[in-house]
Amino acid sequence: MASIRKLEWKVGGQQGEGIDSTGEIMTKTLFRYGYYVTTYKQFMSRIKGGHTNYKLRATEHPTRHAGDDVDILIALDEETLTVNRSELVPGAIVIMEGKDVNIAEVEDYILATFPLKAIATELGNPLAKNMIALGMTGALISLPVEEFYTFIEEQFAKKGKAVIDSNKAAVDKGYSLVQEHLKDHVKTLEAVPKNPDRLYISGNEATAFGSFMAGCRFLSAYPITPASEIMEWMSVHLPAVGGTIMQVEDEIAGITFAIGASFAGARAMTSTSGPGLSLKTEAFGLAALSETPIVIVDSQRAGPSTGLPTKHEQSDLYHMLFGTHGEIPRIVLYPSSIEDAFYVAAEAFNLAEMYQCPVFVALDLALSMNRTTTPRIDASRVVINRGKIVTPEEAQKYGEFIFKRYRFTEDGISPRALPGNPYGVHTTSSNEHGEDGYITEDPEIRTKIMQKRLGKIKTARLSRPYYVVDGDAPVMLVGVGSVRGVIEEVKARLAEEGIQVGGLFIQQLHPLPVEEIAPYLTDKTVITVENNYYGQLLNWLKIHFPIHASSHKITQYDGNPFKVGRVYHEVKELIQDVRRTQATHA
Amino acid sequence: MSVELKQPTLKDFKGDTSTWCPGCGHFSVMAGLQRALVNLGIHPHEVITVTGIGCSSKISEYTRTYGFHTIHGRALPVAQGAKMAAPEMHVIAAGGDGDGYGIGAGHFVHAVRRNIDLTYLVMDNSIYGLTKGQTSPRSQHDFVSKTTIKGNKEYPLDALSIAIANGATFVAQAFSGDVKRMTEMIEKAIQHKGFSLVNIFSPCVTYNKVNTYDYYRDHLVTIDEPLSTREEAIRVLKEHGGNVQGILFVEERDDFQKQLGIDWKMRDIENGPMDEQMIRELEKEFM
Ligand SMILES: Cc1ncc(C[n+]2csc(CCOP(=O)(O)OP(=O)(O)O)c2C)c(N)n1
Ligand code: SF4
Ligand SMILES: [Mg+2]
Repeated sequence: MASIRKLEWKVGGQQGEGIDSTGEIMTKTLFRYGYYVTTYKQFMSRIKGGHTNYKLRATEHPTRHAGDDVDILIALDEETLTVNRSELVPGAIVIMEGKDVNIAEVEDYILATFPLKAIATELGNPLAKNMIALGMTGALISLPVEEFYTFIEEQFAKKGKAVIDSNKAAVDKGYSLVQEHLKDHVKTLEAVPKNPDRLYISGNEATAFGSFMAGCRFLSAYPITPASEIMEWMSVHLPAVGGTIMQVEDEIAGITFAIGASFAGARAMTSTSGPGLSLKTEAFGLAALSETPIVIVDSQRAGPSTGLPTKHEQSDLYHMLFGTHGEIPRIVLYPSSIEDAFYVAAEAFNLAEMYQCPVFVALDLALSMNRTTTPRIDASRVVINRGKIVTPEEAQKYGEFIFKRYRFTEDGISPRALPGNPYGVHTTSSNEHGEDGYITEDPEIRTKIMQKRLGKIKTARLSRPYYVVDGDAPVMLVGVGSVRGVIEEVKARLAEEGIQVGGLFIQQLHPLPVEEIAPYLTDKTVITVENNYYGQLLNWLKIHFPIHASSHKITQYDGNPFKVGRVYHEVKELIQDVRRTQATHA
Repeated sequence: MSVELKQPTLKDFKGDTSTWCPGCGHFSVMAGLQRALVNLGIHPHEVITVTGIGCSSKISEYTRTYGFHTIHGRALPVAQGAKMAAPEMHVIAAGGDGDGYGIGAGHFVHAVRRNIDLTYLVMDNSIYGLTKGQTSPRSQHDFVSKTTIKGNKEYPLDALSIAIANGATFVAQAFSGDVKRMTEMIEKAIQHKGFSLVNIFSPCVTYNKVNTYDYYRDHLVTIDEPLSTREEAIRVLKEHGGNVQGILFVEERDDFQKQLGIDWKMRDIENGPMDEQMIRELEKEFM
């Protein structure tokens, strides 16, 4: 029996058929079995009907990409096969809902149809057809059936023994169907050491968790895909620590409620996606001018306007970097992995309070919604720092009737007195103001306070503003967010062929750590890989580095994340082109 | 640190020097607010005053409290967020009719039904003052202004009835030409637990030549006791074309934060390491 050390598996069907939970069970089972898992969910902006699928890649070593291929496809309808046919590897097995049991070699794959629904009905539970399919998957990779049992017992604990038993029976049936009809195709997914020190978590969950641990106690937002899960997670956990979420009337309220809470002294945030970010835009300036800390999470989806509401894109970079009228201090962060989402979110609250300005945390749909294996949280990586908040004693020393909230200081950051402090009374204003917070139109003060406000963020640094691998390579692949996963795979594939490329994954986009990343961008071929049309990341880099002649972009804006194969081919071609040009010039 | 607090006086509330036109109704609103706070023994540092944008919204600059002069139409959400985080503070939201019933109308209706404990003062001059005299959502039918040169063809928003119909727990209307009554209403509004609305007729002497001090003196009907039902309150408003002063309706009911029953501790986050034990506890969800 052939043994394998990785599995790429997909389940697809109509929305409302439980595709998502089927995928979750399979994934979590292999996660606990000791494999590293990465996933990608494809779904449409409707609740019932329409094709949806769930992709799982299980590997021995960590990866950040759900893979291009499919070894086993569970197709609950024919459309699933049509849509995903191109991903099947030679020898792939397709288990499809059909009238009769039939096993056939079609082209280069095995098409096995089973009347799954009828079999499930016969077992007394038509809903269990997905469990039968899971059992068949388990059998095809020789997974001990107990691995499913544990999960079922946990999952259905509340529903009682009858439900547990009927699900177990469905899984058993899947195993026996394979023994009966597909025995020759059974392989063994090698057992790997189980490791309890890992998490199975999504980017949204990691972002919420990180924010929570950093002391965020207030989140106001308006529901929107793919950001809602952040609000939902916080909703469960905040009340126990004296905080709350608020689902408010619109996104403008989302950000302005949070600004109010922050003004009053709470660590506060709002979470949204593109359309909501557009609505919040005027308030970026309110936070910036009033120097009120605020964390804004933008879980990007494909725009513009309503766009492709359930699809992936990275096209809000310009908006986060430049959005709102006038000129404002801001910090823009973008975790390059689900693991980093925790730390970046947590640090965002420190930076917001230390620099008293809006901090954006960019995510993208692939990063937000899909779960993966990560190491456990390293609690020592973030220390809460609330910045310059003055106590009553400290405020009293100034002896001011009106506390100078915008006091000129060396670093441009003024001590902040929170409401309730008897010696810190002041007004803060969205109008231009002087040190005392009162409105002024004096040109000298205006110039000075603009310089203070815009200059103060220069030193802001995430503890890991970027990741670099093989920084001395002549070609650098540069990306943000979930694209890191693609670049890492492409890099590894090229390395196998002896082609050396480096990877630069920028986590702090504004202020860009120019000096720190300069060595990886100058005198090299720079290729950005990004999910947008304009090459927003590349254009942002071009503002800071003289790379106009030496840079290229690989873009995709069809709503889907990159496939590794496509980027690999394009990078290879670009490298050959560059070499050819260099040869001609030489 | 324990702080010895003297009884507050009007002087304590003196903020920046005002730039309002002489005779502007907003002066009296400000006097009424400050007097109400003094009468209630509330100190400036115990108050957050959040305003939007407009002549009226400058009240947070001219009154010394923890003021936040925000952006047009957003006084209410900022004020509600502030109250959520600091329930021990007295929160006043204030602004113009354009700010609250035009650009901010969406927030207004939701603040009403949400019933967070704060006081909202709308300084209603039925005009856009700061932008120099355009028609507002409160301007009368056929009101002529630079933007309605043939007269306003829309009808004024009946904000009080909207509030009453949507579960508001304290609704009053005052007139800045009758400071004594207005001050009493503001005091009661501040003491009320829940969302309290005081719409204050506050004439714009520069741009509104219809809704003048004389107009209100001639038209306003005073009610001395709140009406007993919402229907009755709405009927009385309708009967007098909205020209009523007094507390129209009051209902005692648990406010938003009380209903949630959370032991609020949003501001208590201290410098130092993250809580490792809590991390380990929460991680279990992801294993
Ligand atoms: C988003 C936005 N739109 C428009 C304006 C311009 N603006 C400033 S104040 C105002 C109207 C103010 O009217 P009101 O709220 O009734 O206050 P008043 O000046 O009458 O007291 C407008 C339209 C603005 N500041 N912001
Ligand atoms: S323009 Fe009208 S509202 Fe504004 S300050 Fe002058 S009188 Fe008051
Ligand atoms: Mg007005």
